[in-house]
Amino acid sequence: MSKEKKDVLYGLYDDEEILLKAVDQANAGHLDIMDVFTPFPVHGLDPKLGLAESRLHIAGFVYGAIGTLTAFLFMTWVFTRDWPIIFGGKPYWSVPAFIPITFEVTVLFAAIGMVVSFYTVCGMAPGITNPTLDDRITDDKFCIAFDVTSADDAAKNQLKGFFSQSGASEVNTKTI
Amino acid sequence: MNQFTFESRYKNVLIGFMVLGLVCLGITFAIDDGLHTRFWTNYLHNSVFFTGIALMALFTMTAFTTAMAGWHTLVKRIWEAYSMFLVPGLILMLVVVAGVVGHFHHLYHWADAEAVANDEILAGKSSFLNSAWYGLGTVIIVGIWIFFAWKIRQLSLDEDVNGTPEFKHHQRIRIWSAAFLPIAGFSSAAIIWQWVMSVDAHWYSTLYAWYAGASWFVSAMALTILTIIFLKGQGYLENVTEEHLHDLGKYLFAFSIFWTYLWFSQFMLIWYGNVGEETVYFFHRRENYPVLFYGNLLLNFVAPFFILMRNDTKRKYGTMAFISIVVLFGHWWDFFQMIKPGARLTAMEALAHHGAEGAEHAAEATGHALGFAMGFTIPGLLELGTMLGFLAFFIFVVFNRLTKASLIPKNDPYLQESLHHHVEIHGEESH
Repeated sequence: MSKEKKDVLYGLYDDEEILLKAVDQANAGHLDIMDVFTPFPVHGLDPKLGLAESRLHIAGFVYGAIGTLTAFLFMTWVFTRDWPIIFGGKPYWSVPAFIPITFEVTVLFAAIGMVVSFYTVCGMAPGITNPTLDDRITDDKFCIAFDVTSADDAAKNQLKGFFSQSGASEVNTKTI
Repeated sequence: MNQFTFESRYKNVLIGFMVLGLVCLGITFAIDDGLHTRFWTNYLHNSVFFTGIALMALFTMTAFTTAMAGWHTLVKRIWEAYSMFLVPGLILMLVVVAGVVGHFHHLYHWADAEAVANDEILAGKSSFLNSAWYGLGTVIIVGIWIFFAWKIRQLSLDEDVNGTPEFKHHQRIRIWSAAFLPIAGFSSAAIIWQWVMSVDAHWYSTLYAWYAGASWFVSAMALTILTIIFLKGQGYLENVTEEHLHDLGKYLFAFSIFWTYLWFSQFMLIWYGNVGEETVYFFHRRENYPVLFYGNLLLNFVAPFFILMRNDTKRKYGTMAFISIVVLFGHWWDFFQMIKPGARLTAMEALAHHGAEGAEHAAEATGHALGFAMGFTIPGLLELGTMLGFLAFFIFVVFNRLTKASLIPKNDPYLQESLHHHVEIHGEESH
């Protein structure tokens, strides 16, 4: 992945309520938020940031359906065509006996498929390190970040003013 | 509006449906066979179904209280009102008990002294399956449920008026609730064995009580959702939003799958084990009652699974009303297929034994192909009418109880949590 270095100006907030109000304020002032980082999912944040609902669950359904078909058709093929064996006097094509395995493979496909999709979409893979703005955003701080790579001093000052006005407890710059 | 008024137009509609139910029961009785099997099975089926819903309302409430859940506080008055149906439920079941003791119906194979005398299996079970235990079990167990329902409701109503900042009432409700859970767990199983499973007296399954209990639970959730949607439509419960509906929908979804899991676990082990004494239950249903057997899975698994899977559907009043009706009817159907086939065989044997009109069914009673019989093979119009009658009776009792208290438990410590309940990550912030 080719990645240009970016200068990021970010403010840390102590509380999700203050953060939500700050995002509202930024939107009202037409400030272009690069991203918001929170230690846990904050209810109501996504629509404010204009994020569409995740489509991961639709992908999950598709993977699950593929798993269902794979398991069921594979067992059908094995037990009727490839290697028919009579178990306990049951017919070759014993649907009830297939159901637990079909269920398990459905779950397995959905789970692995969703994990792989999620990692791909997020650009994560073994060996890739994603720089964090501040370690505390995984703990107790809520962060609003602006991309200031090409911003002039006036714009930077405007953003700093926004941070102090909206109740940020700390404002920092970092190049990532 | 926090105070529900039971308007006379609701009363008239409900009384109308109750009369319909009585008329249907009357017609069923009149056109029935010599033992009135269809009448008695319908009566037992609906009494068990709606009494179970009342129990599950109480169980849900106590389980949530014990788990320190807060979101349900705004709907807990509805469950309190549901649990009050246990009293009429006990009276309904006492009629069945009287029939077992007085031998004026043939619902249960084990209640027939002659059959027990000539039947090793029934004789072996007779220390549990006898009229004394049936009567005592019903009275004691449902009596205990009524006591807990009454106790918890009294405390909850008193909290509205005399609530303290230390939440003394809530502490006591918590104790009663926690005490009720194990009692409900064991006693509901025992009552299901007696009321429902013993219809097929030769057969037993250790999973049966959970499976039937899950059926009751899902029905209770579906009926709760319908009640809430109705009350909201009338302008009540304005603080109950789609957030609460979403959680109830999750319960409906989760327990529909739980029910399927139990149904399938029971089915598959018996199918796989292939022991004649056990498979007869499913074989009989699959061969002679295919509509009941497969319809059950369609209504109670396929429909809720695909409709409730998505997030959005659990937040839409129309979709939730639709699927709740499907699932409520589906679990009524489930109890229908639990009771009817077994009771039909018992009645056939009794009729054949007593000669007369049942003689031609003697061969059939041995378990070979059975012909179509309306009200047994599928629920007929009379069954639907009877169901509506019982449903109207249930709702009548519930509405009557709802008028006795504020719809919002005023001094409940979790009231604020319920008022600000928020589950949807993509939803708009409400405050």
